[in-house]
Amino acid sequence: MLGSIILPIGDIFNAFTGGDAPRVVSDILFSLRIPKAITALLAGAALSVCGLQMQTLFRNPLADPYILGISSGAGLGVAIFLMGFSAFGITIPSTLFSNIGIAASAWIGAFSVTLLILLVSSRLKDNISLLIFGIMLGSVIGAIISLLQYFSASNDLKIFVMWTMGSFSVLSPIKIWIMFILIVIGFALSVFNIKDLNALLMGEAYAKSLGVNMESTRRRILIATTLLAGSVTAFCGPIGFIGIAVPHIARLVFRNADHKVLLPATAFLGASIMIFADTVAQLPGHSGVIPINTVSALIGVPVILFIILKSRFI
Amino acid sequence: MSGKDIKILELIKVSLGYNKVIYSDINASASSTEMIAVVGANGMGKSTLLRSISGILKYHKGAVNIMGKRIESYSPANLAQQVTFVPSQSPRARDLSLFDMVATGCYNRSNWIGNISKEDRSLILETLVKVGLKGFEKRDSSRLSDGEFQRAAIARSLVQNSQIILLDEPTAFLDIANKIIITNLLKEIAVTEKKTVIFSTHDLMQALKLCDKIWVMGHTRFFEGEPGDLIEKGAFDQMFKDSSLKFDSKLVTFI
Repeated sequence: MLGSIILPIGDIFNAFTGGDAPRVVSDILFSLRIPKAITALLAGAALSVCGLQMQTLFRNPLADPYILGISSGAGLGVAIFLMGFSAFGITIPSTLFSNIGIAASAWIGAFSVTLLILLVSSRLKDNISLLIFGIMLGSVIGAIISLLQYFSASNDLKIFVMWTMGSFSVLSPIKIWIMFILIVIGFALSVFNIKDLNALLMGEAYAKSLGVNMESTRRRILIATTLLAGSVTAFCGPIGFIGIAVPHIARLVFRNADHKVLLPATAFLGASIMIFADTVAQLPGHSGVIPINTVSALIGVPVILFIILKSRFI
Repeated sequence: MSGKDIKILELIKVSLGYNKVIYSDINASASSTEMIAVVGANGMGKSTLLRSISGILKYHKGAVNIMGKRIESYSPANLAQQVTFVPSQSPRARDLSLFDMVATGCYNRSNWIGNISKEDRSLILETLVKVGLKGFEKRDSSRLSDGEFQRAAIARSLVQNSQIILLDEPTAFLDIANKIIITNLLKEIAVTEKKTVIFSTHDLMQALKLCDKIWVMGHTRFFEGEPGDLIEKGAFDQMFKDSSLKFDSKLVTFI
């Protein structure tokens, strides 16, 4: 509830209860701050739950929602949209169009990468090969994006760079609804992954011997995580570190490996931490806003370092 | 379905390896209540053999039949009801309680979110008594000693209740006392629970003493047989490339 303009607590209370509050207060509250807070809550929970599943699937504590190139896929989509067109002399007309276009192209990019990975994953022997494939794919996409950047106009480049910094800046109600629905579906699918995630705790060979159908499990985890991370990335840009750090915080706090506990815990912690990060990014009382990725890195990196140094690492 | 005649497991001219053949022409079989040791030099493919029988790895050629049906025709869930595999060193999951670890054996029977029935709950507790881990259920499985962890892994395979239990070097990281405890436990499981227990080991002496059958992955060929017969055939002389190592049938050791 903090931002460049400090709203008096009393007015906020009145605005909620339908009491007598200045028009400007309820306007800022309902059309700016609350939508923004909802976006941050959704994004934090989604990225964290996504990170948890990736870490368990790959048995890699440093896995995050973007490890398989979901964000680079989204980035490629946006890069093609923003810079690819201008390279061919096509200009994107209105800002409204370009806003929705960015989200849509990010989403298409993220899903194309997942689709490619799904196609490849049935041919790969194990999760580690999948991981390596994802990382390699990410590098190739990164190179293509650099190439696009090199040839693009400075204005398009600026918009692209702004997108990569991440932001919860006000989404229209329709966009929030789209994001909300996609993320709820992603969560629902993730809940159905809990049983398999628990079976995966002791490695792939072990899981297979329990009767886990690895191919379908991998597919279901990939689809759920892409829905979650892809949707967040589409609307808010690639937001780093939350997805790696939050599952570790949840493990430290709850001391339980059971995903029936970890999954809701991670969602809750992720949402809370993201709200906090967003509040810090607002620089309460000032007019500037720091990119959310700067804040999430400042929060996330010390947590990751602390975990590496202090605790028995899986 | 009783008696020793039913071929619970049958390997017909099996070649191991995925892209490249690493061992070929394995013919072997197993019945219930049988305890079988797989022996062979390092790198011969003992682990690959066990993983191929458990359906974790694909094999190159031949046929692995379980209950008279090709292993490939089983769905992962159905196969898990017939065969289970205990890896030599599973990664350990931090803060996973021993009870929850053993409960993963109920994967096929638990509900959509993994909750287990009351019957399974008491089955797990009974099994923990059987493997000598009574009262350990709340312990963090990642902090168990190697011997305790191996017993927990065996408890999991028992809870899963598959007919064939495959174990990859179950005693490799254990001290002598635990080696004996685990091998005796496996023998007891084979006899009292009427299971087929197949495990790889480097401890030939103990295998000769306790096992009904031994599969020798020799340097030149594969042997299957009862310990006495194999000694007579000189199968163990084939175990190592170094021909100066001979198996002495009187001393029952390598010289």
